Amino acid sequence: MTTELQADRYLDATGLAPVETSAERVIRPAKRRLRLRDLLREGPVIRVVAARDFRVKYKQSLLGPIWLVVQPLALLIGFLIAFRGLADVQTVDVPYLPFALVGLSVWAFFQAAMMVGTLSLIAASTYIRFTPCPRPAFPIASVTASLPAFGVTALGALVAAAAWGCLSPRALLIPIGLVWLFVLTVGIVAISSSVAVRYRDIVNVLPLLLQVGLFVAPVGYPLTELSTKIRTIVELNPLTGIMEGLRWMVLSGYDPSLTAIGLSVGGTALIAFGGWQLFSRLEPTMADDI
Amino acid sequence: MPTGTHTNGRIAAVSAQGLTKRYRLGEHRGLMLTLQRWLNNSGAYHNRRDELGQRFAALSDVNFTCYSGEAIGIVGTNGSGKSTLLQIMAGTTLPSDGEMRVRGHVVPLLAVGLGFHPELTGRENVRLFAAALGIPSVATEGRMDAVTAFSELDQHMDTPVKRYSSGMLSRLSFGIAMQLPAEIYAFDEVLAVADGEFKLRCLDAIDGLHKSGRTVMFVSHDLDLVADVCHRVMWLEKGTLREFGPAAQVLESYQREHAGPTS
Repeated sequence: MTTELQADRYLDATGLAPVETSAERVIRPAKRRLRLRDLLREGPVIRVVAARDFRVKYKQSLLGPIWLVVQPLALLIGFLIAFRGLADVQTVDVPYLPFALVGLSVWAFFQAAMMVGTLSLIAASTYIRFTPCPRPAFPIASVTASLPAFGVTALGALVAAAAWGCLSPRALLIPIGLVWLFVLTVGIVAISSSVAVRYRDIVNVLPLLLQVGLFVAPVGYPLTELSTKIRTIVELNPLTGIMEGLRWMVLSGYDPSLTAIGLSVGGTALIAFGGWQLFSRLEPTMADDI
Repeated sequence: MPTGTHTNGRIAAVSAQGLTKRYRLGEHRGLMLTLQRWLNNSGAYHNRRDELGQRFAALSDVNFTCYSGEAIGIVGTNGSGKSTLLQIMAGTTLPSDGEMRVRGHVVPLLAVGLGFHPELTGRENVRLFAAALGIPSVATEGRMDAVTAFSELDQHMDTPVKRYSSGMLSRLSFGIAMQLPAEIYAFDEVLAVADGEFKLRCLDAIDGLHKSGRTVMFVSHDLDLVADVCHRVMWLEKGTLREFGPAAQVLESYQREHAGPTS
């Protein structure tokens, strides 16, 4: 969908492009027109849109990026009351606070990315209708702009783990966990954002799903507290495996559920593939449907 | 150079063969209809489906060739397919049938203030728009001064565009559309909002574009403006190409038909 452009071609002062040498595009009916390699070329667009998403989020906001700390902190206080005060949830071999903070770093990122990402195409409707912008850039940029939500809470988890003396040297592996989480989230947002273009219902369902999701993932409680049946359901959630993996990386002495990790790796691959298939199939008619 | 792109030494910039675009009429089929289909296989659903399954041809079997260096006007009543034609050319939507060949990069200005994000500054919006068109950032920065100068927004480029007046918004739109580098420029009824002096400058700029070998596609209801700007004119009617030829000739027959019998 984007023609090849050479930067140097535009460097002369007039901005004149040599017409004779420019490539011819043939526009024909097609079920799909996106190629996977287009994604690699979209780096610059993703960067600009992600910078916009991040800046817009905190413009004219009194606290600005401090919200990145306030949101997970509020959830953490909720957890302390619900799971520690009321339910007396116990974690095995690791202290509760760093345990919960690792889960919250995954959740804060996922929630932020889903909320902005699902609406990303609808919010860019004038771009989609009137410019040949690369459409995958919008959901991917929303997920990228949510990375600080992960970073801030993950930093809190590292500090807490160090303070409790259970920080593992495996924490150096966090980037692998982050890539895994990123791919899964992009896959889910690709599905939710492209479906939202046609069926706005998803906008209404999303807050509900996120509220339920918070409790169907071991964000604030350990898997060991669950009965076998419920545990299986929670392990099927691909976020569960990522949380288990990240906890194994950050907390020394943590014994993760290998079932959940295996299911999540498989689930991530499946969702990423399915997300790409669905998105590229719906992409050609987005300008007509939006 | 591929064959078929030269005619009398001219280079085909935009051409269409059997170009057709159909839209579905009405809303997408809702859940209630799908449920009805499952619950009873007769009557109501099938009737509704026939109604919803109808498609409306915004363009049907349109054929033309435009050459680089030409300014092409597109006239027609509302719903004649002008905007759809430009949308396909810009690459925002695909045709249902036929094909279009486009040589080079298109800068589309299909709506004023399109895609501007109110919270971002003028400068940031220029970057965003250029990035969406696939223009490398180094090229955008190189043209930033030209965009600023053309739109006369020197002191306002670092102000969020939500504080812009509508005149400033349209000046920024034109600054971007005229000063970003491309081979083909598409304007959809956008000069209507420009005021006297600025309008003249836009027309000058459009002149400069096609004189330097770029192609300009110009949609407008203002026939005098089309006559001023364009070499050739396409007359679209209900999705078909009614007439395509020298501006004066096509505009005359268009006016004759649309002036009505009384005048």
